[in-house]
Amino acid sequence: MNNLYLKELTELNGVSGYERRVREFIKEKIKDRVSGMEEDILGNLIAWKEGKNSKKLMLCAHMDEVGFMVSNIEEDGKLSIIPIGGIDPRTIIGKKVLIGEKEIPGVIGYKAIHLQRGEELTPPSFENIKIDIGVNKKTDAENKVKIGDFVAFATKSTVNGDWASGKALDDRGGCSILIDLIEDNIGLFYTTYFVFSTQEELGLRGAGVAAEKISPDFAVVVETTTSGDNPEFPEARRSTELGRGPAISPAHSGYVIDEKLFYWMLDNAKENNILYQIKRRTVGGTDARRIATTLAGIPSAVISIPSRYIHSPMSVLNLKDYENTLRLIATSLTKEVKDERTY
Amino acid sequence: MELLEVLKRLSSLDGPSGYEQEVIKYIKEEAEKIPNVKSEIDHLGNLIVRKEGPGKKIALFAHSDEIGFVLTKKEYGNYWRFSHFGGVDPKAVISQRLRIHTRDGSISTGVVGMLEPHLQTEEMKGKVPSFDELFIDIVEGGDKVSIGDLAVFSSEPFSLSDKYFTGKALDNRASCATLLYALALLNNFVPRSDAYFVFNIREEDGSPGAKAVAYKLKPDLAIILDVTHGDVQIPSSPKIETGKGPVLDIGPVISYEHFERLKKLAEKISVSYQVEPTGGVSYTDTDAIQITRGGILTLLISLPIRYMHTPYEVTNIRDIEETARLLSSFIAQGGE
Repeated sequence: MNNLYLKELTELNGVSGYERRVREFIKEKIKDRVSGMEEDILGNLIAWKEGKNSKKLMLCAHMDEVGFMVSNIEEDGKLSIIPIGGIDPRTIIGKKVLIGEKEIPGVIGYKAIHLQRGEELTPPSFENIKIDIGVNKKTDAENKVKIGDFVAFATKSTVNGDWASGKALDDRGGCSILIDLIEDNIGLFYTTYFVFSTQEELGLRGAGVAAEKISPDFAVVVETTTSGDNPEFPEARRSTELGRGPAISPAHSGYVIDEKLFYWMLDNAKENNILYQIKRRTVGGTDARRIATTLAGIPSAVISIPSRYIHSPMSVLNLKDYENTLRLIATSLTKEVKDERTY
Repeated sequence: MELLEVLKRLSSLDGPSGYEQEVIKYIKEEAEKIPNVKSEIDHLGNLIVRKEGPGKKIALFAHSDEIGFVLTKKEYGNYWRFSHFGGVDPKAVISQRLRIHTRDGSISTGVVGMLEPHLQTEEMKGKVPSFDELFIDIVEGGDKVSIGDLAVFSSEPFSLSDKYFTGKALDNRASCATLLYALALLNNFVPRSDAYFVFNIREEDGSPGAKAVAYKLKPDLAIILDVTHGDVQIPSSPKIETGKGPVLDIGPVISYEHFERLKKLAEKISVSYQVEPTGGVSYTDTDAIQITRGGILTLLISLPIRYMHTPYEVTNIRDIEETARLLSSFIAQGGE
């Protein structure tokens, strides 16, 4: 069964730079199903399986999620935080968080509505947001947490019917697809490297190191991407729509997708009647940008599960899109990337 | 009585104004575990637990309802618009999962979504969406919901530390727990008053519940338990702090004489307390009770909590215990 681990994966805490829990979980699930596996200095997890052809294809999904780090412990025992990755401060009030290796629970409180004077519609700033761990003194707080501890959202996930909701769907959705691809025992055309990368949210920092080590002939990044698919956002500015299949990117911030790889996926979708969409916006980069400029240059592509409200404690994806994304990648992996287009 | 266990159940149960019966039913069960009490639910849904005694009639009130939301319009797919009752900060609603109680009794789940930062324009970033601009994305049971269905926050309560507890609806379930605890403690005394513990409905939508009970009972003294803002400096007011004991309100809606008696008793039995000035009206059930049926003498006692009307309000356990100790002693002594 597919997406068996999606719920667990999203509930794990793996803020950028603190991906250990996610890595250990994935390792445990895939260790008996790959030809080899290793972990590098940056914490990237690299697993591989042989294909018919000795050329190398790298699949990449990032393990990290946006979150915070404890930046100071205040005199009143509250914790100051700094964001790790792009988080909208309007989405974090009234949330439960887990702090550091011991996963100490805390809440992000905010001045009661009754006491706000005309600030109701003013976005809060991170400087005014503190975490409450139920102590009133700095020394009491220091017994529980320390500066440098990660802070992750404690959102529980739901995976039911057509929909999944929770934190960190970006990019545990991609991690989950890579695990499914490993478990499904596909007749791989190329020798395939499954890379679970680190520190994507901090500027695509892990994936390049992994690509350098593998030196693949091609790379495909598997992401969970934006949509803007909601009643408030103009239709013309949406990047994807949920329920319309995987989003294949033609180009994004800092990189135009390799043409051969782009059509490789597109043609496979058409030939196999798999619902797909072309991503309509170029905002937001992925590990593809970093991988593409690694070594002497590696042709790269991006395929994504469309998602809503990513980078917040509560994102949503459509499980049919997940299935179609998985199907399209699985089908493509059995096929050669053509040098010449046949259309 | 296991205070933490009761508090946890009370916070977990859903009871938006007008739909409190799950909460009322649970409180009734808990109250009936206490010996020598009689309980009844009135025609509106208020729970009245009587602890009979020989003296003056004292009624204690804690509202059992919580702030909530109502589905107002279907957009398309699983998208709905919604409104709220009770004061709610839109910032505290964004990226929350709401529990929707549907017509057939099932629970649907919706998330209040926020556009991904990647797609936001500078103009959008500068402003928090108002309730007119927020929407709910019903990811579970989308086909079961209707206009008018009520929803509440879905945050699960937990102990933040050995001193603090957090969850939704601690306004005013923390007071409900306090009243239950005071009722249990009252059995240690030979009471000199005829006490009525009232768990009323509908405070957040304008006090029709408390007013009806006050009318029916016409007590000699009404003591209202609600929550106030703790650990925040309000200009020109003393800073009320959590962990420093019950907050005794003083102002035009309070009987000055009874306030003094309560203060003296607190000093006598070593309950530390704080005094909060209530200018004008108190924005609690006190305001309505005071002017009911020829006028009723009122006292308002508040529990200080943090982050009122957000999904994770925070209360201090010792404040609850000490408030219950003061109340049980005060009632046992006939309000003297």
